[in-house]
Amino acid sequence: MTTIALTPARVLRSEWHKLWTVRSTWIMLAAATALTVGVGIAIAASYDQDGGEAARFDPVQFLLFGTQFSQIILAVVAVLFISGEYGTGMVRSTMVAVPRRIPVLWSKAGVVTAVTFTATLATLLVTFVSGQLFLDGTDKELSLTDPGVFGTLLAGTAGLTALALIGLGLGALLRSVPGGITAFIGGVTVLPEVLRMFPYDVMDSVAKYFPGRAAEGLMTLRDTSDYATTGPALLALTLWTAAILAAAALLLKRRDV
Amino acid sequence: MITASELTKRYGDKTVVSDLTFTVRPGTVTGFLGPNGAGKSTTMRMILGLDAPTHGSATVGDRAYADHSAPLHEVGALLEARSVHPGRTAYHHLVALALTHGIPRSRVAHVLDLTGLTDVAGQRVKGFSLGMGQRLGIAAALLGDPATVILDEPVNGLDPEGVLWIRTLLKSLAAEGRTVFVSSHLMSEMALTAEHLIIIGRGRLLADTTVDRFVRESGAGTVKVVTPEAGLLTELLAAPEVDVTSSAPGALEVRGTDAEHIGRTAAAHGIPLFELTPHAASLEEAFMDLTRDSLEFAAHLEPA
Repeated sequence: MTTIALTPARVLRSEWHKLWTVRSTWIMLAAATALTVGVGIAIAASYDQDGGEAARFDPVQFLLFGTQFSQIILAVVAVLFISGEYGTGMVRSTMVAVPRRIPVLWSKAGVVTAVTFTATLATLLVTFVSGQLFLDGTDKELSLTDPGVFGTLLAGTAGLTALALIGLGLGALLRSVPGGITAFIGGVTVLPEVLRMFPYDVMDSVAKYFPGRAAEGLMTLRDTSDYATTGPALLALTLWTAAILAAAALLLKRRDV
Repeated sequence: MITASELTKRYGDKTVVSDLTFTVRPGTVTGFLGPNGAGKSTTMRMILGLDAPTHGSATVGDRAYADHSAPLHEVGALLEARSVHPGRTAYHHLVALALTHGIPRSRVAHVLDLTGLTDVAGQRVKGFSLGMGQRLGIAAALLGDPATVILDEPVNGLDPEGVLWIRTLLKSLAAEGRTVFVSSHLMSEMALTAEHLIIIGRGRLLADTTVDRFVRESGAGTVKVVTPEAGLLTELLAAPEVDVTSSAPGALEVRGTDAEHIGRTAAAHGIPLFELTPHAASLEEAFMDLTRDSLEFAAHLEPA
């Protein structure tokens, strides 16, 4: 028989178990997937290449428009994963079992990364392939094996995974489900748009490196001046995520549970 | 064994726990008593590392709780009733906690059985009554087969059968050599369960004693005296520790001395006594006497 002791690997297994044993996880992941695929198919099916703005659409990004909504659902899963524990009191049981606390945050981050990355990659692949079924013979016809396509889907997946981790970090910082969700929507999706309204070019450049816009830009096949390029966008997202999780870890260690 | 030394917790300028030093020994049930708001829960949370002390420290066994390699094997704790995600089933709640320590699922089944929850293990906690919630909290506390058990108000919300079950459980845990530390605001409950008492009021240590000694030394017993010379007797009994009150003409309530002393004093001065009746204090009275001055929310019932 193995020794009964607290180990980081066991905390990770515990957090994995926790994620899947509440119904909301299943419902929200299914909703995020259905929304992304559904919106992608709807856009592809109604695509008219002679329509006014059609030429401007990025051939990959326009199929993934549903991620504008599903990214919020994925972030809510992550916010709930940690701040839901504060709301219900579960956090006391968790922190009595893991009194050093920090392994809980890293484990949750690991679980969110694994689940969001896998689910999102599968969803984006299905969305792209099923959307393309409607685009044969149009100017947006593309194959998964065309140059840059798979890489774009992969980068888009990485971006959405980073957004979910930011949701986890905000949930840990604010310890409140509504607070975490509000901060995510406000900070990640609204703030960059507000910044762009200022009539200064520098604001526009800065806004490109905010998490929501950086992640959006990762889903484009072609580089445009609207978004940061892939490398800097990934770097910006990594730094945002690391900074928010580090702040969350610091406060988790310092604050009373 | 739990050791608290100079444990202090302040929130801003409000001191919730003040300079608490005590030891909870294995093999007996130690009651942690105090009125609501006395700082019992905060003290327990500091022992478990959930709250950081402003000053002082607490250890369980030979070190701080967080420094143990298998914390759940060292301490099992029942904190505020709902420390559970209501959307998870009782079984999965326990499995999630067990996984952190590699505790086998057979142990999960065992504690479910022990707490009588086996039949409802597959139900989501959302639908649990207060009593079932308490049982689940106790199941979680016993999961790691802990050397020390810390329970915050475990009888809250339990039916009489559940209360009896808790008493028996606590005594048997202590008989197995474990350290059992149980908080309550009910002296009567502790009198039936605990051997040792740690009493606090407004975060301060008021008594660290045994139940027997507490009753004996509490001095809350009164003697009822009926005499036609009530005024004279009151003067004769006057002493710093003696408190004499009169509820009706010729009737006295004397605290701080015993019937023998009153009887001899009366006889020495030729005072006739019509009644001399000692009333032993109940534990509840002794407890209320001790904590009266430290009540945070004392009820003031004065005639209008």
